[in-house]
Amino acid sequence: MKIIGFITVIITALLLLQAERDFPNWGDPESPASSYRLSQHYITETYHETVVPNMVTAVLADYRGYDTLFETVVIFTAGIAIIGILRVFGGNQAEHKEPQLTKQKPDLILQTTCRLLLPIIQLFALYVVAHGHHSPGGGFQGGVIFGASFILLALCHDLKYAQKWVPERRILNLAGFGVLLYAGFGVAALMFGENFLDYGILTHLLPGSIEEARSHSMLGVEIGVGFTVTAIMFSIYSLLSSNGKMKEGI
Amino acid sequence: MTEQAPALILLIPFLTSILVAMIGIAYRGICWYLALISLAGSVCASFTTLIRVLDEGVIRYHMGGWAPPFGIEFRVDALNALVSIAVSVVAFITLVYSKERVETESPNKVSQYYTLFLLLITGLLGIVLTGDAFNLYVLLEVSALTSYALIAMGPKRATLAAFKYLIMGTIGASFYLLGVGYLYIKTGSLNMFDIQEQIVANDLQQSPTILVAFILITVGLWIKMAFFPLHAWLPNSYAFAPTTSSSIMGPLVTKVMIYVMVRMVLTVFGPVYTFEVLNWNEIVVWLSVIAILASSIGALAQTDLRKMLTFLIIAEVGYMVGGTWLANEAGMTGTIYHIISDAFMTLCVFLFAGIIFAKTNRRDINAVDGMFKKMPMTMIGFIVGAFSLIGIPPTAGFFSKWYLIQGGIESGNWEYVVALLISSLINAVLFFRIIEIAFFGRKPVEGHDHHHGDLHSKICEAPASQLISLWGTAAILLLIGLYNKDIAGIIQDFLLQFNLATGG
Repeated sequence: MKIIGFITVIITALLLLQAERDFPNWGDPESPASSYRLSQHYITETYHETVVPNMVTAVLADYRGYDTLFETVVIFTAGIAIIGILRVFGGNQAEHKEPQLTKQKPDLILQTTCRLLLPIIQLFALYVVAHGHHSPGGGFQGGVIFGASFILLALCHDLKYAQKWVPERRILNLAGFGVLLYAGFGVAALMFGENFLDYGILTHLLPGSIEEARSHSMLGVEIGVGFTVTAIMFSIYSLLSSNGKMKEGI
Repeated sequence: MTEQAPALILLIPFLTSILVAMIGIAYRGICWYLALISLAGSVCASFTTLIRVLDEGVIRYHMGGWAPPFGIEFRVDALNALVSIAVSVVAFITLVYSKERVETESPNKVSQYYTLFLLLITGLLGIVLTGDAFNLYVLLEVSALTSYALIAMGPKRATLAAFKYLIMGTIGASFYLLGVGYLYIKTGSLNMFDIQEQIVANDLQQSPTILVAFILITVGLWIKMAFFPLHAWLPNSYAFAPTTSSSIMGPLVTKVMIYVMVRMVLTVFGPVYTFEVLNWNEIVVWLSVIAILASSIGALAQTDLRKMLTFLIIAEVGYMVGGTWLANEAGMTGTIYHIISDAFMTLCVFLFAGIIFAKTNRRDINAVDGMFKKMPMTMIGFIVGAFSLIGIPPTAGFFSKWYLIQGGIESGNWEYVVALLISSLINAVLFFRIIEIAFFGRKPVEGHDHHHGDLHSKICEAPASQLISLWGTAAILLLIGLYNKDIAGIIQDFLLQFNLATGG
């Protein structure tokens, strides 16, 4: 089997090298990807059409917003899938004899550091979400940082303690709310008679011009992404660390 | 509202899946009803879309109001519309079947199960409807993740099989993504139709990069659809999954991948490139011949009912890959027709296998022992599906095989015709063996089987929801068979634009 695997790898490598011959040069401004009207349009028109200075955000959340919606759904799916596979209900502890962890006394240094760090992490997460228009960042990154703050809380105390803020059912509701918020912008456009996710028409609901409505809607969908990512990050951690029992965990 | 029909096909199950995840955890009973309503809506929307396509031609739906290639578009022609109907109807029928089964198979996780179920349908419908090569990948991920989970929610062996599937599926999807990346390097576009225009306009047909992109995409899709030497993940994962999961994935996942392959060949690379510039027709048809024969023989060796059916799926994949590379109109018509009819006939036999498993809790073929006495209605539904897989008129399977054989004769690929006939004969052997066991019972084993038999000979049919779904599928199989002229007509009209070879 190893030999078959090795031969496959060699063939694939030769194939990829073969393709290399025909590539445009590194950073070539004449390459199709840089000279075709698609990237030209993004570079020259993005600001006029969406008043978002960060092109990447505009492509991600508006031009290809439908893709990003389903990227969020991938995260959501991962969360639900892990609940579906790992979550153990009821008390069949007899089957799985869990290694008894030696309960330690709460560590003063850990808990104090955690208390100091947590607000800063969360504030920074909100900044990353909100500042996605101007700098690298956005819902995914901000959500991960926000989720990490809850994981830190669970690590420094225990899972039970962190669940006071994000109990299991609230996690699901937050994750679902995030996706619904994103899709809600699309459905709202649908209600006004435009195509799904056409934020321009939301100028009826949001302040400012059509372009500004696009910009505001992008912030809205980024916040939705942030909710989902935060919730699913913590959900994955808590299920993995507690063997699906959602009790104390590690 | 008909303006929005193409988007609504997938938006309705998508939004409902989120609601099911949120509400269903508190009110478990409501999940099934919500899912049922949403899929009914999806079926209506897909029929509306087909009618519109037939009336006014290709529908272009711009997501977010951005014209392609800047935004993502749904470009719905007769091919998408037909396949999306097949997907939504199969999903609806499986959902009707699933009512009791999900509650017994994963009692504490009903809401998660239906969420994943609806998201799988969303992903598949998205793959079928989209006109954007990268967007297709995103939805491929949604459907792949959900199918891993739906399989892994079964018993222990299913989890292991799902892990194998996860590895293979990820390799397949990354091959596809790499191929799309290469296309982007050479064309600068992600829209399928735009890529085709760029390949023709910039005279890229001799470019090695496009060649490698073609190979990567094709091999990636072959892994995803379990084309014979790359099939190893499929049998165990579908055989050990919860019955509802295998009833939804067996018919749909592989068939949607075949749709993607047809779409890549016809729309992205174009038939001229695939069939004339590359001209690998003979090699691929021979590969499919090997696939058909090997997996049919593999099916003969199985004693587990669902595992036998999974090998039939792999054989059918061989039919359709071969039918595509026959490179003529009849072969392509047969392939597209077979996507639709195979979806329903696989559904029919998998529903039957699920009903038998629910009744007897046994996986082997002998579980059907004496079923004609105990469950006559179920057996009648099964016989329609079996006849369709064998290819007996007037069921759907006969007509799609007819076109495939016609294509094989026209292109002179006699080996393909022979393989198809042998495989049909093997199907006949397999299914008549089941029918025989069910009708006459096994030969009684000395003594103790006797009073056993009497106990079981009372009629005890499957629950109404399961019976209705089985009969519904059987009826659809007959309908597809009876309206074969109309369906083939729609497909042939669609294929006219591609100037495929026609038999003289």
